[in-house]
Amino acid sequence: MLVNVQNLSKTFGQFKAVDDLTFSVQEGEVYGFLGQNGAGKSTTIRMVLSLIKPSGGSIEIFGKTMSNCRREILSNVGAVVEKPDLYKYLSGYENLSLFARMSGKNISRQAVNDCLELVGLSGRSSDPVRVYSQGMKQRLGIAVALVHDPSLIILDEPTNGLDPQGIADIRNLIHLLSKERKKTVIVSSHLLSEIEQVADSMLIIHKGRKVVEGRVNDLLNPNQVTLEVITSDNDKAVGLLQESAWSAGIKPSPFQKIVIEIASADVPVLTKYLVDREIGVSGLRSMNSLEAYFLSITSGNEV
Amino acid sequence: MKFSSIVYIELFKIFRKPRTYIAFGAVSAIVGLIQLGFYADGDSYMQFGLQSFSDSFDIEGNLMNGYLMAYIILQLLLVHVPLLIALVAGDMISGEAAQGTLRVILTKPLSRANLILAKFTATSIYTITLLLWMAIWALGISMLVFGVDDMLILKSDQATQIISSDVLWRYVAAFLFACLAMITVAAMSFFLSIFAENSIGPIMATMSIIIVFTILNTLDLPIFSNLKPFLFTSHMLGWKGFFDVTVNENNEQIIGSIENLKAVMISAGILVIHIIAFLAASIWVFRKKDILS
Repeated sequence: MLVNVQNLSKTFGQFKAVDDLTFSVQEGEVYGFLGQNGAGKSTTIRMVLSLIKPSGGSIEIFGKTMSNCRREILSNVGAVVEKPDLYKYLSGYENLSLFARMSGKNISRQAVNDCLELVGLSGRSSDPVRVYSQGMKQRLGIAVALVHDPSLIILDEPTNGLDPQGIADIRNLIHLLSKERKKTVIVSSHLLSEIEQVADSMLIIHKGRKVVEGRVNDLLNPNQVTLEVITSDNDKAVGLLQESAWSAGIKPSPFQKIVIEIASADVPVLTKYLVDREIGVSGLRSMNSLEAYFLSITSGNEV
Repeated sequence: MKFSSIVYIELFKIFRKPRTYIAFGAVSAIVGLIQLGFYADGDSYMQFGLQSFSDSFDIEGNLMNGYLMAYIILQLLLVHVPLLIALVAGDMISGEAAQGTLRVILTKPLSRANLILAKFTATSIYTITLLLWMAIWALGISMLVFGVDDMLILKSDQATQIISSDVLWRYVAAFLFACLAMITVAAMSFFLSIFAENSIGPIMATMSIIIVFTILNTLDLPIFSNLKPFLFTSHMLGWKGFFDVTVNENNEQIIGSIENLKAVMISAGILVIHIIAFLAASIWVFRKKDILS
């Protein structure tokens, strides 16, 4: 176990930002940390990195506690917390060299250039950071996290503000770090689709508390789907579904949609059932059960 | 990581920031203007200053010389230099917090105490460099432009003459004392910057404290009398003590003498205590601080 967090909590005045959170990250895996904005992800990550002192609980990384071995632990950790903030008046190369020096390791000029190459910034390394796009800053921030070749990499919302190509690049980079370089990566996001695509294990956090934790493949049950149905007459459709065998799967929905949890194989049968009863089906969206669960949390309508 | 490496990084950041050079530009411009003014109209200034002595004494020589020029400039400028010091010292932590780089730094394996000490060392080096720059302009350039002679210091009720061979070491000592005074200002501004997330607050707070303390110093009210010896602003102009000479029974200057060395040393001691107190408080607060920026 590379990271072991037990009963972690943080209180700001009366507000409990993180409440009795326990999770563990295995060596070599990509661990997804999922929750809506304000769920407590960044506060937890800041506590793991010793930027914030926990109100309670314990954190062990590499089998050592942060309170006793902070410098030893951090020399083997690379992180981007929230935004990749850098010195705007310095060039990309200068920023990276500066932070490489702070890591305490003897990092060669070649290693700095290799790292810039890895994140695709070698052609713009002498430009000042103030002229960089959001995507370039994000990549440079990741380079800062990687330059000292850490075993554990923590990326807090690494795709924020990026265009689709930038998001895909980050995803590929995480794959590369995990599968080829055998790094352990903790990646946080408020988007399930992002976590789903990169993570081996995941944790959903809501209002500072753990909601669910496990292997992504186990959590994303492919045999059961939650269906979002839009019809020509939703009231009539709901009435018909309540009389059917699928009535137990109907979920409350805050929007003008019908949400129903059914077996994957039943999707065409249900569509035919409605059409046969003169209900026009104008939209169908299939979600896995975890996505539905996460959406129910983010829409404030817990199931 | 070696302490010297952290100091190097901090100095690199300070001297790559454009705002750092505002202070150097301001000192050059102000000193240059004062020198120009005195070069053009210095004689009438001296005549005005000496009118109460000219009936009793026959005064000859180059009175408006480089040594006197430097003294006048230092008297005028050292009151305003704290603003230029606060411009950088007040930005050391708060500036990093504002641009978000503080949290990036603190994810690196540096101890918080070492980071504070390194940042403060770099701030002190900046302060000393600025004062050296001021010394070059105020003393060096003045000596070149106005020449060198005995130094005549005019006060409200007396005039002190220091022979030219006895002046230069006094300036060296005065600049060292001024460094101590300005590092005290830097330490206070640095301490205040730990609490802020933009640099305007600590800069304004530093100047406000100096203004309030200076006003308290000038008010001759008994209620403030006991407080004055403990205010660092009371001791910031202690450098002038190096230009108060002792005279023998024939009223001749004793070479190398300082009239009230003990008072100068006490002032220096109080400034050092302030620096240590501000630095210790900075480390204590910063070690406990949650980085939320």
